[in-house]
Amino acid sequence: MPDLKFPLIDHIWRVRGAVPLDPALSSDEAFTRLDPLLRTPGTTCLVEGEALTYAKHNPAAQDKLATFTRGRLWIERAGAGAVLRFDLFSHALLLSFLAPLLFLGFAQLAVAVNSWEAADADASETADKKDKSQPVKKLNPVDEFLGAPAPDDPSKKKDEKKEDEGRHSPEEGYFMAGVFALIYLVGRWLEPWLIRRRFREALSAPASASGIGGTG
Amino acid sequence: MAGVQVGKRIIGADAPVTVGWENIGRVEGGPVKQFVFTYFQPAMLFAAILFWYYAPNWLAVASTAIAIRLGWTILLLVLEWVNPRYQSWQLTWKEFATDAFYVGLGMTFLGMVDSYIGDGAIIKAAQGAFDWDKFSWFTGLPLLVQAVLISMIFDFGQYWMHRAMHNWHPLWLTHAPHHYITQLNINKGAVGNPVELFLIGLGIGGLFDFLPRAFLLAGAIGMTVSVYQHINVRFNTPRWWRFIFNTVEHHSVHHSQDYEATRSNYSGTWIIWDRIFGTCVDGEAELLGMEGGRRMDIGETMVFPFREGWRSAKAAIGKRIGGSNPPQLEPAE
Repeated sequence: MPDLKFPLIDHIWRVRGAVPLDPALSSDEAFTRLDPLLRTPGTTCLVEGEALTYAKHNPAAQDKLATFTRGRLWIERAGAGAVLRFDLFSHALLLSFLAPLLFLGFAQLAVAVNSWEAADADASETADKKDKSQPVKKLNPVDEFLGAPAPDDPSKKKDEKKEDEGRHSPEEGYFMAGVFALIYLVGRWLEPWLIRRRFREALSAPASASGIGGTG
Repeated sequence: MAGVQVGKRIIGADAPVTVGWENIGRVEGGPVKQFVFTYFQPAMLFAAILFWYYAPNWLAVASTAIAIRLGWTILLLVLEWVNPRYQSWQLTWKEFATDAFYVGLGMTFLGMVDSYIGDGAIIKAAQGAFDWDKFSWFTGLPLLVQAVLISMIFDFGQYWMHRAMHNWHPLWLTHAPHHYITQLNINKGAVGNPVELFLIGLGIGGLFDFLPRAFLLAGAIGMTVSVYQHINVRFNTPRWWRFIFNTVEHHSVHHSQDYEATRSNYSGTWIIWDRIFGTCVDGEAELLGMEGGRRMDIGETMVFPFREGWRSAKAAIGKRIGGSNPPQLEPAE
């Protein structure tokens, strides 16, 4: 990992924390227990003494660590106690933090194209004014009998139409920006909580019992 | 793997596929759960039809459909949570965020592009070129007949476009990324390369003159039938429903890792089209995807057709000239 420091800002995409560890476990035993979480396709792992670093390339959808594509885990011992500390990096969190900007950009693009087209239309507006009165469409007798509402008169509706609405609506862009802001907030809270739980579960059980499977 | 003979084909020789309705899973749980997950799909279809049939004109508009769609999606996500079909398809935060990106892209940028080059623009041009008034008697048909016609005509076009995508290499390159999904969830229909999403959205239903309400009814049929093709929910789908309509059972076979199985169940809404044209396989599958279930990330999904198209073209040219020795490519699907 490059040694760039982004104090505070990196909380957006980095998750740090610790889970308690049975002090009787050696670092080898502890990492063996974490093995089922790490022994997944596309994962490279390196153990150096009391520390483990891993990197994932496009992990599978059901990979328990899929959200955190790089990470460092190490064991800290103080007196009689021990903890497993982790420092994880997530592309997914960073991208979903940035996604609202992308969708706000699309919304602004819609506004820009609308105003550009409106300017274009003003210039050529006088030319075509085809307001033929369209015939009113009638319902089939079956539908009249069943009581479906009849279609509106298309010539009446024209007057009520707002003129300033363009071809594109920016609302979808604003909506998706909001959705991604929410997705980010949920993910930033949920994923660290899940990862802490998974580490704790893995460390408390012998590796052989935890198994790699889990598809059912 | 032995596989099962369906017509002239062996289904499930490369990867496990369950063939035949008698072999597929059932809803597990008490009588209430059984009842809900047996009648949910038909009940929602009839509710949607009733709503769009009787809603007053001020309410029967596209924006109502969008609002309903949002609430509907949330409800289906809850169903996925409550009664998943397979644990191995469980929605994760990352999968949801990825799917939401594709949904958002379709709603914003692709929607804008589509308004210039999509079927709307093509239909306008076609309507100017012919005297379509000859079809105006369509609007005199009963609303439900119009709605079913719109839905079936659109799906007929989609069936052949989809089948062509699985049979012609250049089209396959646009569709392949969608087959790299490794699990089904309700928003997975939006996952794929934008070129494919544009092609599959081309419809011929819009050529004919129907009443606006008929279009909304047709949309309601699509929303309450084809939406289930990518859903991780275990239903006891009624027999008549799975005979007429596409289901997640059919579509999971289409997405399976088994090559022959992917060449079946092409329709979006009316599986009847597959039955008529001989491509229907009744069954279900859990193991999905390509290359043994490799997940394709967003970046690769965006460039895949162009990258592979360039490689294929280079190989073809190299072969014709016969000069250099191009690297061997995998055969076309």
